[in-house]
Amino acid sequence: MDPLLTFIVILVGFYGLATSNNIIKSVFCITIIESGIILLFLNLGNFEGGTIPIIGEDVVAIVDPLPQALMITTIVIGSTVTALALMLCIKLFHHYGSIEWSKIFGKGDAS
Amino acid sequence: MADLTLLEITAYALQILLIFIAIAIVLHKNNRTIIILIASFSLVVSALYVINNAPDVAIAEVAIGAAIIPLIYVISISRQREFIVLDRAMDDFIISDEEFTGYGYRLLKQFTDHYHLDLNICNDPMICQMEGPDQNVCERTNVDLIVSKDEKTGTYYLKGKESSLLMHKLEEMAADYSDIEVQTFKDVEFGE
Repeated sequence: MDPLLTFIVILVGFYGLATSNNIIKSVFCITIIESGIILLFLNLGNFEGGTIPIIGEDVVAIVDPLPQALMITTIVIGSTVTALALMLCIKLFHHYGSIEWSKIFGKGDAS
Repeated sequence: MADLTLLEITAYALQILLIFIAIAIVLHKNNRTIIILIASFSLVVSALYVINNAPDVAIAEVAIGAAIIPLIYVISISRQREFIVLDRAMDDFIISDEEFTGYGYRLLKQFTDHYHLDLNICNDPMICQMEGPDQNVCERTNVDLIVSKDEKTGTYYLKGKESSLLMHKLEEMAADYSDIEVQTFKDVEFGE
Protein backbone atom coordinates (compact mmCIF):
# COMPACT_ATOMS: atom_id res chain seq x y z
CA MET A 1 0.00 0.00 0.00
CA ASP A 2 1.74 3.09 -1.26
CA PRO A 3 0.17 6.55 -0.71
CA LEU A 4 1.89 7.77 -3.89
CA LEU A 5 -0.18 5.43 -6.09
CA THR A 6 -3.37 6.70 -4.40
CA PHE A 7 -2.20 10.25 -5.06
CA ILE A 8 -1.90 9.37 -8.78
CA VAL A 9 -5.60 8.34 -8.73
CA ILE A 10 -6.52 11.76 -7.27
CA LEU A 11 -4.42 13.49 -9.94
CA VAL A 12 -6.16 11.50 -12.69
CA GLY A 13 -9.48 12.69 -11.24
CA PHE A 14 -8.31 16.32 -11.29
CA TYR A 15 -7.10 15.90 -14.88
CA GLY A 16 -10.56 14.66 -15.90
CA LEU A 17 -12.22 17.53 -14.01
CA ALA A 18 -10.08 20.07 -15.85
CA THR A 19 -10.36 18.64 -19.36
CA SER A 20 -13.83 17.10 -19.64
CA ASN A 21 -16.43 19.02 -21.61
CA ASN A 22 -19.45 17.02 -20.47
CA ILE A 23 -20.94 18.08 -17.11
CA ILE A 24 -21.91 14.52 -16.11
CA LYS A 25 -18.30 13.49 -16.79
CA SER A 26 -17.20 16.14 -14.29
CA VAL A 27 -19.47 14.60 -11.65
CA PHE A 28 -17.86 11.20 -12.32
CA CYS A 29 -14.43 12.76 -11.74
CA ILE A 30 -15.59 14.25 -8.41
CA THR A 31 -16.53 10.70 -7.34
CA ILE A 32 -13.02 9.46 -8.25
CA ILE A 33 -11.30 12.24 -6.27
CA GLU A 34 -13.51 11.55 -3.25
CA SER A 35 -12.65 7.81 -3.22
CA GLY A 36 -8.93 8.62 -3.49
CA ILE A 37 -9.06 11.04 -0.56
CA ILE A 38 -10.86 8.45 1.61
CA LEU A 39 -8.13 5.92 0.76
CA LEU A 40 -5.40 8.42 1.74
CA PHE A 41 -7.02 9.10 5.13
CA LEU A 42 -7.44 5.39 5.91
CA ASN A 43 -3.80 4.77 4.98
CA LEU A 44 -2.85 7.53 7.45
CA GLY A 45 -4.31 5.64 10.42
CA ASN A 46 -3.04 2.23 9.32
CA PHE A 47 0.37 0.86 10.37
CA GLU A 48 2.40 -2.30 9.97
CA GLY A 49 1.09 -5.11 12.18
CA GLY A 50 -2.07 -3.31 13.31
CA THR A 51 -5.42 -5.09 13.56
CA ILE A 52 -8.97 -3.91 12.92
CA PRO A 53 -10.27 -1.64 15.71
CA ILE A 54 -12.35 -4.12 17.70
CA ILE A 55 -11.24 -4.33 21.34
CA GLY A 56 -11.12 -7.87 22.75
CA GLU A 57 -9.30 -9.43 25.67
CA ASP A 58 -5.73 -9.58 24.38
CA VAL A 59 -5.63 -6.82 21.80
CA VAL A 60 -2.34 -4.97 21.80
CA ALA A 61 -2.22 -2.83 18.61
CA ILE A 62 -5.35 -1.54 16.89
CA VAL A 63 -5.26 0.94 14.01
CA ASP A 64 -6.54 4.49 14.56
CA PRO A 65 -10.37 4.34 14.48
CA LEU A 66 -10.86 8.11 14.17
CA PRO A 67 -10.20 8.41 10.37
CA GLN A 68 -12.48 5.43 9.78
CA ALA A 69 -15.36 7.05 11.67
CA LEU A 70 -14.88 10.28 9.71
CA MET A 71 -14.63 8.55 6.33
CA ILE A 72 -17.97 6.73 6.72
CA THR A 73 -19.56 10.19 7.02
CA THR A 74 -17.67 11.29 3.89
CA ILE A 75 -19.03 8.37 1.84
CA VAL A 76 -22.64 9.15 2.81
CA ILE A 77 -22.26 12.88 2.19
CA GLY A 78 -20.50 12.20 -1.13
CA SER A 79 -23.47 10.22 -2.40
CA THR A 80 -25.88 13.06 -1.59
CA VAL A 81 -23.55 15.60 -3.23
CA THR A 82 -23.54 13.42 -6.37
CA ALA A 83 -27.34 13.29 -6.39
CA LEU A 84 -27.59 17.09 -5.97
CA ALA A 85 -25.04 17.74 -8.75
CA LEU A 86 -26.89 15.45 -11.18
CA MET A 87 -30.18 17.19 -10.37
CA LEU A 88 -28.54 20.53 -11.25
CA CYS A 89 -27.29 18.94 -14.52
CA ILE A 90 -30.88 18.08 -15.49
CA LYS A 91 -32.01 21.64 -14.68
CA LEU A 92 -29.14 23.07 -16.77
CA PHE A 93 -30.06 20.81 -19.67
CA HIS A 94 -33.68 22.01 -19.61
CA HIS A 95 -32.49 25.62 -19.42
CA TYR A 96 -29.81 25.65 -22.14
CA GLY A 97 -30.60 22.54 -24.22
CA SER A 98 -27.07 21.18 -23.77
CA ILE A 99 -24.86 19.75 -21.03
CA GLU A 100 -21.51 20.81 -22.45
CA TRP A 101 -19.49 23.47 -20.64
CA SER A 102 -18.35 25.11 -23.89
CA LYS A 103 -21.89 25.61 -25.17
CA ILE A 104 -23.24 26.83 -21.82
CA PHE A 105 -20.44 29.34 -21.28
CA GLY A 106 -20.10 30.21 -24.97
CA LYS A 107 -23.17 31.39 -26.76
CA GLY A 108 -25.99 30.46 -24.44
CA ASP A 109 -28.38 28.98 -26.99
CA ALA A 110 -27.05 25.64 -28.16
CA SER A 111 -28.83 25.67 -31.51
CA MET B 1 11.21 -8.08 -3.54
CA ALA B 2 11.56 -11.33 -1.56
CA ASP B 3 10.15 -10.03 1.73
CA LEU B 4 6.86 -8.79 0.24
CA THR B 5 3.93 -10.67 1.73
CA LEU B 6 0.93 -11.83 -0.31
CA LEU B 7 -1.22 -9.05 1.18
CA GLU B 8 1.23 -6.35 0.06
CA ILE B 9 1.43 -7.78 -3.47
CA THR B 10 -2.40 -7.77 -3.60
CA ALA B 11 -2.49 -4.17 -2.38
CA TYR B 12 -0.05 -2.99 -5.07
CA ALA B 13 -1.92 -4.91 -7.80
CA LEU B 14 -5.27 -3.42 -6.74
CA GLN B 15 -3.82 0.09 -6.65
CA ILE B 16 -2.42 -0.22 -10.16
CA LEU B 17 -5.80 -1.61 -11.32
CA LEU B 18 -7.45 1.41 -9.65
CA ILE B 19 -5.27 3.81 -11.64
CA PHE B 20 -6.16 2.06 -14.90
CA ILE B 21 -9.91 2.15 -14.13
CA ALA B 22 -9.64 5.88 -13.28
CA ILE B 23 -7.86 6.59 -16.59
CA ALA B 24 -10.54 4.57 -18.43
CA ILE B 25 -13.30 6.63 -16.75
CA VAL B 26 -11.60 9.91 -17.70
CA LEU B 27 -10.91 8.94 -21.32
CA HIS B 28 -14.15 7.09 -22.15
CA LYS B 29 -16.77 8.87 -24.24
CA ASN B 30 -19.98 6.93 -23.54
CA ASN B 31 -21.61 7.91 -20.24
CA ARG B 32 -23.53 4.63 -19.91
CA THR B 33 -20.32 2.58 -20.04
CA ILE B 34 -18.75 4.85 -17.43
CA ILE B 35 -21.51 3.89 -14.96
CA ILE B 36 -20.32 0.26 -15.06
CA LEU B 37 -16.71 1.41 -14.65
CA ILE B 38 -17.66 3.58 -11.63
CA ALA B 39 -19.31 0.54 -9.98
CA SER B 40 -16.18 -1.59 -10.52
CA PHE B 41 -14.01 1.30 -9.27
CA SER B 42 -16.01 1.28 -6.02
CA LEU B 43 -15.57 -2.49 -5.62
CA VAL B 44 -11.77 -2.31 -6.09
CA VAL B 45 -11.51 0.65 -3.71
CA SER B 46 -13.54 -1.19 -1.04
CA ALA B 47 -11.14 -4.15 -1.28
CA LEU B 48 -8.34 -1.67 -0.56
CA TYR B 49 -10.25 -0.40 2.50
CA VAL B 50 -10.29 -3.94 3.89
CA ILE B 51 -6.53 -4.21 3.33
CA ASN B 52 -6.16 -0.94 5.30
CA ASN B 53 -7.91 -2.57 8.30
CA ALA B 54 -11.18 -0.66 7.84
CA PRO B 55 -13.93 -3.25 7.17
CA ASP B 56 -16.70 -0.91 8.39
CA VAL B 57 -15.84 1.70 5.77
CA ALA B 58 -15.68 -1.06 3.13
CA ILE B 59 -19.23 -2.20 3.92
CA ALA B 60 -20.53 1.37 3.55
CA GLU B 61 -18.60 1.81 0.28
CA VAL B 62 -19.99 -1.42 -1.24
CA ALA B 63 -23.55 -0.51 -0.27
CA ILE B 64 -23.45 3.14 -1.33
CA GLY B 65 -20.66 3.43 -3.90
CA ALA B 66 -21.30 0.25 -5.86
CA ALA B 67 -25.11 0.12 -5.66
CA ILE B 68 -26.79 3.46 -4.96
CA ILE B 69 -24.51 5.86 -6.88
CA PRO B 70 -24.75 3.90 -10.21
CA LEU B 71 -28.53 3.79 -9.67
CA ILE B 72 -28.62 7.58 -9.28
CA TYR B 73 -26.55 7.97 -12.46
CA VAL B 74 -28.83 5.62 -14.45
CA ILE B 75 -31.97 7.45 -13.31
CA SER B 76 -30.58 10.91 -14.03
CA ILE B 77 -29.12 10.04 -17.46
CA SER B 78 -32.42 8.47 -18.57
CA ARG B 79 -34.52 11.35 -17.17
CA GLN B 80 -32.22 14.06 -18.52
CA ARG B 81 -33.73 14.16 -22.03
CA GLU B 82 -37.37 14.22 -20.95
CA PHE B 83 -39.50 17.24 -21.90
CA ILE B 84 -42.83 17.08 -20.07
CA VAL B 85 -45.83 18.86 -21.60
CA LEU B 86 -49.09 19.20 -19.70
CA ASP B 87 -52.12 19.19 -22.01
CA ARG B 88 -54.88 21.33 -20.51
CA ALA B 89 -56.64 22.12 -23.81
CA MET B 90 -58.51 18.77 -23.80
CA ASP B 91 -59.44 18.78 -27.51
CA ASP B 92 -57.93 17.60 -30.80
CA PHE B 93 -55.03 20.08 -30.73
CA ILE B 94 -52.61 17.37 -29.62
CA ILE B 95 -54.61 14.15 -29.32
CA SER B 96 -57.23 13.40 -32.00
CA ASP B 97 -58.86 9.98 -32.35
CA GLU B 98 -56.91 8.69 -29.34
CA GLU B 99 -53.61 9.13 -31.21
CA PHE B 100 -50.94 11.82 -31.39
CA THR B 101 -51.91 13.26 -34.77
CA GLY B 102 -52.89 16.87 -34.04
CA TYR B 103 -50.89 19.70 -35.59
CA GLY B 104 -49.88 20.94 -32.13
CA TYR B 105 -48.21 17.59 -31.53
CA ARG B 106 -46.34 17.88 -34.82
CA LEU B 107 -45.04 21.31 -33.82
CA LEU B 108 -43.88 20.09 -30.40
CA LYS B 109 -42.32 16.98 -31.94
CA GLN B 110 -40.37 19.13 -34.40
CA PHE B 111 -39.22 21.33 -31.51
CA THR B 112 -38.07 18.43 -29.29
CA ASP B 113 -36.35 16.60 -32.17
CA HIS B 114 -34.34 19.78 -32.79
CA TYR B 115 -32.89 19.54 -29.26
CA HIS B 116 -32.78 15.69 -29.22
CA LEU B 117 -35.27 15.58 -26.35
CA ASP B 118 -37.93 12.95 -25.61
CA LEU B 119 -41.42 14.43 -25.74
CA ASN B 120 -43.65 13.27 -22.90
CA ILE B 121 -47.30 14.39 -23.10
CA CYS B 122 -49.17 14.29 -19.81
CA ASN B 123 -52.96 14.31 -20.00
CA ASP B 124 -53.79 12.81 -16.64
CA PRO B 125 -57.21 14.28 -15.71
CA MET B 126 -56.22 14.59 -12.06
CA ILE B 127 -53.46 17.08 -12.92
CA CYS B 128 -55.10 18.78 -15.92
CA GLN B 129 -58.21 19.78 -14.02
CA MET B 130 -56.23 21.21 -11.14
CA GLU B 131 -57.68 24.47 -9.87
CA GLY B 132 -55.98 27.81 -10.32
CA PRO B 133 -54.14 29.68 -13.09
CA ASP B 134 -51.55 27.98 -15.30
CA GLN B 135 -48.57 29.57 -13.57
CA ASN B 136 -49.45 28.06 -10.20
CA VAL B 137 -50.05 24.65 -11.79
CA CYS B 138 -46.64 24.81 -13.50
CA GLU B 139 -44.92 25.59 -10.23
CA ARG B 140 -46.70 22.84 -8.33
CA THR B 141 -46.30 20.03 -10.88
CA ASN B 142 -42.83 20.98 -12.22
CA VAL B 143 -43.72 20.45 -15.89
CA ASP B 144 -41.78 22.19 -18.69
CA LEU B 145 -44.66 23.43 -20.83
CA ILE B 146 -48.42 23.89 -20.43
CA VAL B 147 -50.85 23.87 -23.38
CA SER B 148 -54.14 25.66 -22.76
CA LYS B 149 -56.96 27.11 -24.89
CA ASP B 150 -58.87 30.36 -24.83
CA GLU B 151 -62.50 29.28 -25.26
CA LYS B 152 -63.72 32.62 -26.76
CA THR B 153 -61.12 33.21 -29.49
CA GLY B 154 -59.96 29.63 -30.03
CA THR B 155 -56.30 30.55 -29.54
CA TYR B 156 -53.94 27.96 -28.11
CA TYR B 157 -51.41 29.18 -25.56
CA LEU B 158 -48.06 27.45 -24.99
CA LYS B 159 -46.80 28.61 -21.61
CA GLY B 160 -43.36 28.02 -20.16
CA LYS B 161 -40.76 29.55 -17.89
CA GLU B 162 -39.25 32.85 -18.98
CA SER B 163 -35.71 31.90 -17.98
CA SER B 164 -35.51 28.91 -20.35
CA LEU B 165 -33.67 29.61 -23.61
CA LEU B 166 -35.61 26.80 -25.27
CA MET B 167 -38.76 28.96 -25.17
CA HIS B 168 -37.27 31.50 -27.61
CA LYS B 169 -36.73 28.74 -30.16
CA LEU B 170 -40.29 27.52 -29.67
CA GLU B 171 -41.51 31.08 -30.24
CA GLU B 172 -39.70 31.19 -33.60
CA MET B 173 -41.16 27.85 -34.62
CA ALA B 174 -44.71 28.81 -33.65
CA ALA B 175 -44.63 32.08 -35.64
CA ASP B 176 -45.94 30.27 -38.73
CA TYR B 177 -49.18 29.27 -36.99
CA SER B 178 -51.71 32.06 -36.59
CA ASP B 179 -53.71 30.51 -33.75
CA ILE B 180 -50.78 29.52 -31.53
CA GLU B 181 -49.27 31.99 -29.11
CA VAL B 182 -46.22 31.38 -26.91
CA GLN B 183 -46.33 32.98 -23.49
CA THR B 184 -43.73 33.01 -20.74
CA PHE B 185 -44.05 33.78 -17.07
CA LYS B 186 -41.46 34.89 -14.60
CA ASP B 187 -39.74 32.41 -12.31
CA VAL B 188 -40.67 32.55 -8.67
CA GLU B 189 -37.85 33.78 -6.50
CA PHE B 190 -36.95 32.17 -3.22
CA GLY B 191 -39.02 33.34 -0.31
CA GLU B 192 -42.07 34.51 -2.24
